[in-house]
Amino acid sequence: MNGRVVIALALLALAAALVIAARPHEPTADERIDRITTELRCPVCQGLSVKDSMSDTARQMRDLVAERVREGRSDAEIQAEFRAAYGDWILLSPPVASWSGLVWLAPLAALAAGLLFAMGRLRRADAPAGAEPSAAQIAALRDRVAREEAAEG
Amino acid sequence: MLPRIVRAAVVVALLGVVLTLALAFRRDPHDIRTGTVGKPAPAFALERLDGSGKVSLADLGGKVVILNFFASWCLPCTQENPALVRVYERYRASDVVMLGVNYQESRDNGLAYVRRMGIGWTTVADADGRVALSYGVFGPPETFFIGRDGVIAGRHIGPIDEATLINGIEALRGTASK
Amino acid sequence: MSAGDLGAAALRAALFLSLWGTGAATYAAWRRDARALASARIAAGVGFGLVAVAAIAMMFALATHDFSILYVAENNARETPLFYSIIGLWAALEGSILLWTAILAGATAYVAFRGTAAIPRLATTALAVMFAMVTFFLLLVTTPAADPFARLAFPPDNGNGPNALLQNHPLMALHPPLLYLGYVLTSVPFAYAIASLILGEGGDRWLVATRRFALVSWALLGVGIVAGAWWSYAVLGWGGYWAWDPVENAAIMPWLTATAYLHSVMVEEKRSLLRTWNLALVIATFSLTILGTFLTRSGVVNSVHSFTQSAIGPLLLAYLVAILVLSVGLLLWRSSRLRDAGPIGAPLSREAIFLFQNVLFMAATLTVLLGTLYPLFAEAISGAQLSIGGPYFDRVEVPLALALLFLMGVGPQLPWHGASRATLERQFTAPIAASAIGAAAAILTGITGIAAVLAYALGAFVTATVVQEFARGVRARRALHGEAVAAAFTNLLRRSGRRYGGYVVHLGIVLVALAVATSQARTVDAEKTLAVGETLEVAGYALRLDAVRSVREPQRDSVVADLVVTGNGADELLRPALVQYPNTAQAVGSPGISAGLRDDLYTILAAFDQRSFAWATIHTRVIPGVSWLWLGGAVVGLGAIIAALPAPRRRAVRLSVAEAPAPAK
Repeated sequence: MNGRVVIALALLALAAALVIAARPHEPTADERIDRITTELRCPVCQGLSVKDSMSDTARQMRDLVAERVREGRSDAEIQAEFRAAYGDWILLSPPVASWSGLVWLAPLAALAAGLLFAMGRLRRADAPAGAEPSAAQIAALRDRVAREEAAEG
Repeated sequence: MLPRIVRAAVVVALLGVVLTLALAFRRDPHDIRTGTVGKPAPAFALERLDGSGKVSLADLGGKVVILNFFASWCLPCTQENPALVRVYERYRASDVVMLGVNYQESRDNGLAYVRRMGIGWTTVADADGRVALSYGVFGPPETFFIGRDGVIAGRHIGPIDEATLINGIEALRGTASK
Repeated sequence: MSAGDLGAAALRAALFLSLWGTGAATYAAWRRDARALASARIAAGVGFGLVAVAAIAMMFALATHDFSILYVAENNARETPLFYSIIGLWAALEGSILLWTAILAGATAYVAFRGTAAIPRLATTALAVMFAMVTFFLLLVTTPAADPFARLAFPPDNGNGPNALLQNHPLMALHPPLLYLGYVLTSVPFAYAIASLILGEGGDRWLVATRRFALVSWALLGVGIVAGAWWSYAVLGWGGYWAWDPVENAAIMPWLTATAYLHSVMVEEKRSLLRTWNLALVIATFSLTILGTFLTRSGVVNSVHSFTQSAIGPLLLAYLVAILVLSVGLLLWRSSRLRDAGPIGAPLSREAIFLFQNVLFMAATLTVLLGTLYPLFAEAISGAQLSIGGPYFDRVEVPLALALLFLMGVGPQLPWHGASRATLERQFTAPIAASAIGAAAAILTGITGIAAVLAYALGAFVTATVVQEFARGVRARRALHGEAVAAAFTNLLRRSGRRYGGYVVHLGIVLVALAVATSQARTVDAEKTLAVGETLEVAGYALRLDAVRSVREPQRDSVVADLVVTGNGADELLRPALVQYPNTAQAVGSPGISAGLRDDLYTILAAFDQRSFAWATIHTRVIPGVSWLWLGGAVVGLGAIIAALPAPRRRAVRLSVAEAPAPAK
């Protein structure tokens, strides 16, 4: 039983660590700015986010985001401001509530389909090859052995 | 033996991929078209480059406005400048206003560029880039055509030529304010 | 005869030979004709020699600045240093295709000589397929589509020089050749798979014959991708190593399917299952390499690698379509002959884990494919322009990667056919305990975020399983052969290289996972405009700006900021720079990097005082753990070498005549 105790304790510790790591808390202004600028595309770069880019344009966008965060605007409002000027192109991941939102569904669907298919290919665990014979079968076998021994003499 | 549905799905998926790639040839990856076209031009009030006061979009209401974003570090801007100069001369006495917005550089550099290139129309400085961001500017040179009703009728990314400018202006002058 | 003439002539001769080889190999396979095979062999060998000559001729032309050749004029200049001139062979489209062709011709020669000696008919059919592919690429390099030796009527005085980004760092010598080797060598398993389908063989011979090729190409592709990430980090100067750029995605997709393939072939070898699936995986991997080339070269996507659009785009697309039609058609046609030996097995068995792992890899690949192509698709259909970038890919791929990390620890610990409860307890007690320790270590070092902590926990999990396996193996060898620990360890790697080399690869992957988790979770940024003499402090480091100066070299002008770094035991000089090459409008940022085992100090010169060099804006990033990424790549390569090396031959045992036992009465 020692092994099981160790496993149980370890899993508990792991769960605790994950809870600590998740640390749900009110994001600071800097964290909000980071989060928003990670989702915005730098207009003059090759696919870089506004957070990662060193260009002047990205810098100015970061300043604008910082100012809006200070003013108390929500993430959605700030995104909407950039979307109004640049279109959906400025967002680095498609908004969920739109036709392009389907791209979020696709990986889940692929995974689900694949797992279903895989489970279907697996041999069912409750039908092992070579099942145990039943009690009646064992009794019959014993009878037969006794009869044959008697016949041998 | 692969079930029918799997075969069909595979073929359809591959067809989709190939079709997408083939259609992709039609587009130019450098042509980004989304943005503020068709919407009211965002308001602004910017300092003139020579420091002699402010210019606001509201002042230019009722006129056709050509808004040109430029910078001295932008090579194509120098290439399009002669066209801008010629168009400016042509419409100088009319109700077409040309406004240059200097972008992402110091006033001194902007002024030096203006003097060097013989830019006669009003130029303003967009110091913190906010106006450019509100218009959805990707990078200089970029030119916006704003109609008398204050709506952005068109936008041109990259160096612009005389013909495009004149066509745009005439189209805007032709439509009387609604 | 100039180098250009020699190269052009060699390519045309090679084209003729490969056409001949295609016909000869096809005939040899069809009629089992030994003479046709012999002539195909000669065609393969000589053809490879000719393409190699062409490649060397191009390198010579680049080194001697022969601007009468258009490619040299566009990608080389008199000031270009010799090293960068020579590696300019792969600086642009035409040269890259030439390199690709050379590698493909080499692989064809290999199949012609080694392959056909081992399995004559299968390999000869595969050889015909290889020749057909080489013919296509030779057509590309001998026609205006991608002719590297196209001439200029009026050679200029001086060339344009290579793209600024391509002469900044010696890594340019490694990344493209490694990647191309990985890409091109996947064509050998593919050719054998097609041959097997054409011949209607329902068995595993094609798979066993190309096993080592598959492993080697996978390893080269993987190391090439890591080299590309290193290049992105050290050269592009944005402080990251992976941006989900379309071209990066193009490289990782075939790697993902190749990884799935490497594992599911074990299931086929061991239990004769998943036959159709393995064929599909090989076809998918190869097709994805062609798709990757298409995306990189055709100009349909905007990316770091974007080149001007050329006629090669439609040609590559046509080639991809032909390959898909041929291979998928063959697979669907022959699928009735590919029977599995039975159902897979219990859910908790090694083959089931491999199956789940394959599903995860396919989901990962399809996600990357969808994310890369969807913007193209949306624009083609509705004209709407949208972006799919880092945030999307990270959100989907990270959970998949974590799940795969988990399976990586579980799979090797489960027996084939199924595991009992006792087995599970015996195998997994220590690893689960280790995972708790890993999670604790993450929290203690300041990691936040569920994904990163899970990465640490699962990394510890996998490491514990690997250590367990090695310990058991060493114990077994000591009991059986009485070897000392060190000898037992070495012999494990030599004699059971496939298995234990695979474990080493897994350790490398763990390092990569930890590197990504740590660098994503704990990177610290700081930016400041410093006057000369002022200091910027971040994460315990102090960076003092000593000078801003201008450096003139023949091929470029730079402005360099001298930064003295102290703190955290560091004491060195970093020189981030802004480099201006002639013929480019924008300056290229060159980061100053202080690499360390614990963290990297990454500095960028963002702006400087153009008038009097009195100040500079320095952007600094402290990136923990990023060095483990390169280390992990090296460990993966090492593990692959261990797995690929053949086991030492068993020494023959000699019995002298006198010792032979007398015959029994």
